[in-house]
Amino acid sequence: MLARLPLPAQLDRTIMTGSLVAGLVAGPILLILLALLAMGRISGVQLVFYAAAAVILFGAIGAVTISNVVHAAMCLIATLLGVAGIYLLLLTEFIALVQVLVYGGGVIILVLFGLMLTNAAADPVVTDGSQKPFAFGIGALLAGTFVAAMLSAQWGLTAPVLVPFRIFGERIFRDFSVPVIVVAILLDIAFTGAFVNARRPEASETTEAAK
Amino acid sequence: MIPLSNFLVLSALLFAIGFYGVLARRSAILILMSVELMLAAVAINFIAFATYRDPKAFTGLVFALFVIAVAAAEVGLALGIVLRLYREHRTGYVDEANSLKW
Repeated sequence: MLARLPLPAQLDRTIMTGSLVAGLVAGPILLILLALLAMGRISGVQLVFYAAAAVILFGAIGAVTISNVVHAAMCLIATLLGVAGIYLLLLTEFIALVQVLVYGGGVIILVLFGLMLTNAAADPVVTDGSQKPFAFGIGALLAGTFVAAMLSAQWGLTAPVLVPFRIFGERIFRDFSVPVIVVAILLDIAFTGAFVNARRPEASETTEAAK
Repeated sequence: MIPLSNFLVLSALLFAIGFYGVLARRSAILILMSVELMLAAVAINFIAFATYRDPKAFTGLVFALFVIAVAAAEVGLALGIVLRLYREHRTGYVDEANSLKW
């Protein structure tokens, strides 16, 4: 049946393998969480939090370990959308929307274009010894230190409060107007720089450089 | 209600995974993706502290918004540089781009 669909052979294999792996990872986690919810051990909000956390962590692990770069970029999409879900749990809808628009849309498209315009088909063959054990050690140390520090600290807590869009916009453009302008100028400079770097040099410039 | 420490531990783990990626990857674009993970972890931290500690002050939320904006600018600029590196020297690997002037 799949052969009749007008898909390139590579694409349907990729889709099938990807959804199979994602289902195999996500299915048991979701089942465990639903069982805990049914037993009354966790609330609905906590279920959403743990599901989003699982999406984020497994997506992040996939993004830094999978050697096929397009698959790694797909894992990055999962992670960034999970982060948007965490923002929703923290009652900041506007930042969640911005996250989906800017990261899920723009940044991922840019990264995929970058992958396809260069030959980054996979990590290169390593000849000078793997750096992965060293990197894993440093990462584990970092994670252990942070987690230990954050679990032992005591934070005075207040309950999260929903910030309406209107008040958010008023505060941003009234109290933080100067930083907004500074960020606008920064974006302008950065994209001018990106354009200058990425454009093809004109014929006159290349001949001058050759002289 | 979810305790604040859950969000902090999540962001710490995400940051550590991103750091592993920065150290272990050799392709410039994959390193960039790992940096994106680290920036997302930092933004989670900002927003968690902002909403739990002082919902009336907007500093954390605005800071997270600016982190997202700066990350977008960084990705655009870095991909421009990587494209130029690839066009002029046929490589996208940071190991091979190890001199400041050719």
